[in-house]
Amino acid sequence: MQCGRVPATTLGAFAAVIALGAMPYTAHGDWVPGADLSLRHDNNVGNAQAPPDIVADTILGARLSIYQLFPLDDSYSVTVGGDLRGESFHTLTGLDNVSVAGIMALKKKWGLGAFAPWARSGVSVARSSYDDSYRNAWVYRVTLAAGRRIDERWNLWAEYAYERRAAGAQARIDPELSGDAFSQDSHNLGANLEYSLNESTFLALALSARHGDVVSTTHPNLQIYSASLALAEDPAFGPEAYAYRLTGTTYGFRAGMNYSPTPHSLFGCGFARWETHAEYGNDYTKSMPEITWDYRF
Amino acid sequence: MRKLFTAAAALALLWRAAPGVAAELRVLVKDHHGRLVADAVVLATPLEPKNALHAKPPADAVDQVDKQFVPYVKAVFAGSKVWFPNSDHVRHQVYSFSPAKRFELPLYGGTEAPPVVFDKPGVVVLGCNIHDWMVGYVYVSETPFFAKTEGSGTATIDNLPPGEYTVRIWHPDMEGSEQTTSRRVTLNIDAPTSAVWQVGLKPALRVPRVSGAGSAGY
Repeated sequence: MQCGRVPATTLGAFAAVIALGAMPYTAHGDWVPGADLSLRHDNNVGNAQAPPDIVADTILGARLSIYQLFPLDDSYSVTVGGDLRGESFHTLTGLDNVSVAGIMALKKKWGLGAFAPWARSGVSVARSSYDDSYRNAWVYRVTLAAGRRIDERWNLWAEYAYERRAAGAQARIDPELSGDAFSQDSHNLGANLEYSLNESTFLALALSARHGDVVSTTHPNLQIYSASLALAEDPAFGPEAYAYRLTGTTYGFRAGMNYSPTPHSLFGCGFARWETHAEYGNDYTKSMPEITWDYRF
Repeated sequence: MRKLFTAAAALALLWRAAPGVAAELRVLVKDHHGRLVADAVVLATPLEPKNALHAKPPADAVDQVDKQFVPYVKAVFAGSKVWFPNSDHVRHQVYSFSPAKRFELPLYGGTEAPPVVFDKPGVVVLGCNIHDWMVGYVYVSETPFFAKTEGSGTATIDNLPPGEYTVRIWHPDMEGSEQTTSRRVTLNIDAPTSAVWQVGLKPALRVPRVSGAGSAGY
């Protein structure tokens, strides 16, 4: 369970102590703690192109979050917080990971109430630590979002995010290619729509587009090598697996249904499908059915 | 004239409080499926205006508990002063855009907010600018005789001067206007008068507390 300089268990325990230690202070301010769990099946974890390389797995995810809201006036508010996430892979245990993130966002509402248009800009910094430590990375994200709840039934928002994932460069195994296969830059666009069926159930549809670096893990082959910007061993997928960093564009959607059994909790099920087009025909797809549970205090 | 009015009001109060001379109206409200309806406001308007004499409206309160308005529906007499205490550990910013009362209480906690006077009859929809899912209703009644149904669907209005009344029902999810529920009822002092109303309710829709927008709500 070693992950670079800091063992994952130590990092996880440290973050849990911070998150749980902050809980008592929720009684004294506008703190908003939350928790969520997810179980998803990814039919192509390694983003591989050809069937022999395609590996499916089931992933259990958990997240604890705590935010504090600072309303500045009627229009502006600042949110500061953090979260602790973890993922456990059923088969590819080298991809088990925990991450700790700090987040700050500024939100503006044009008017009072639930139906006022809003915009939000935010930055986050996260440290992700994997069981196979060569994937450890700092993740920096800048987000711009805007939306409006049209009425009790319809909710719309759109989001742009720039993400920089900075991983450590691995040993160069090809003189022509960098070993920094797990660092990625990407531009992400999303459009989201929610439709309430009744007081406790709503449907959600998210459309997304992403352009930037993708990491595809396969056995060595010329087609992917030709398109690669970086190359590194990826033993989480087996001794003969190599991670190739490519430039690609991904289009996808997620459709789901959510049900609130209590005012604080939300059960959801959804299905996501992504299709990525990379240079030299290195295209791949992935599908991810998912069930989720969210709790907000 | 003012003295005469005060004396009449005092007499009316004394008369209302006297045992054995007041009438009582018991109402059961159901929906079209026979389900009992809670949070319906039952309003009894006397046809004899002198029967509507009433003392100064009392002060009332709508609390905020677990980021919800409590009660969800509050009925008050026109002119009432309503406090909005905040029992949560987070601050709220209560507002209403309703024509019957537009107001905003800037962000506050505890009992810092001043009371709001509801002087115009009508429905006032409450919201919180921080917690979008919070919604509540203040029904401002032009008649002093009203009550709200409990979970059992029943409401009782007592200490009514006997006579002819127009009785009607209002509920936040009601189909059509409250005028369509209007019915004439005669109240006597010898026995409580019971009546059953059936009202059509639309499926309730509220802003979800937990949404995919995540922290967008904050």
